[in-house]
Amino acid sequence: MKIHTYEKFWLAASMLLIVGFILTITYGTVGIGIAMVDDSADTVDPDNLGDHPKFSDPGVEQVGENEYDVYVRALQFAFIPGDVEVPANSTVTFHVTSSDVIHSYSVVGTNANTMVIPGEVATITVETEEPGEHGIICTEYCGSGHHNMAGKLIIVPEDEFELEEEQ
Amino acid sequence: MSSKLQREIGHDEFDPKGTLALITIYFVIISVLWIFMYFVEFLGNDLTVVGAIA
Repeated sequence: MKIHTYEKFWLAASMLLIVGFILTITYGTVGIGIAMVDDSADTVDPDNLGDHPKFSDPGVEQVGENEYDVYVRALQFAFIPGDVEVPANSTVTFHVTSSDVIHSYSVVGTNANTMVIPGEVATITVETEEPGEHGIICTEYCGSGHHNMAGKLIIVPEDEFELEEEQ
Repeated sequence: MSSKLQREIGHDEFDPKGTLALITIYFVIISVLWIFMYFVEFLGNDLTVVGAIA
């Protein structure tokens, strides 16, 4: 088959582009460690979250040096806890589940967001850097009060961070 | 009817330089946009979900 030189050029160029796309994504995953939200976390009974060791008393807990776990319950129409305070320069893992319908947990203006499904625990890990405040909203239409469903992620300087007293 | 054919060229003599230029420009635009979208817009948009592949 006879292929014109120019045609060879743009065939090769488009192949190169695809290889470039794949390389970029591979670099993101392997090099930087960017992850997708998956279903590897345990399931829970959405009707009895009160009996769950973590979700019965959701909030922030320290699990290691500069490592924090945040347990959040989403329900119509709030997040519990609404305001989450974590220190800067730390690794924060959110565990979010719903006790009624499908919600989402979206840190506004960032790449951190996940769908929140009753019975499933959505687990996302982020690295906090600069202190600051981010809004958290539900982006899955969940009912008449959906537009009021919001929270706040407050990243405070490390020396000002204090974990709430255990009760 | 007389033929209006002015010049006959072979397969390899046909060089659509304009098309080549257009495609090259498109290629450059797509490459730049991809780099901008991934490295500036996406990676610059912390917080980003990270984690070892379990």
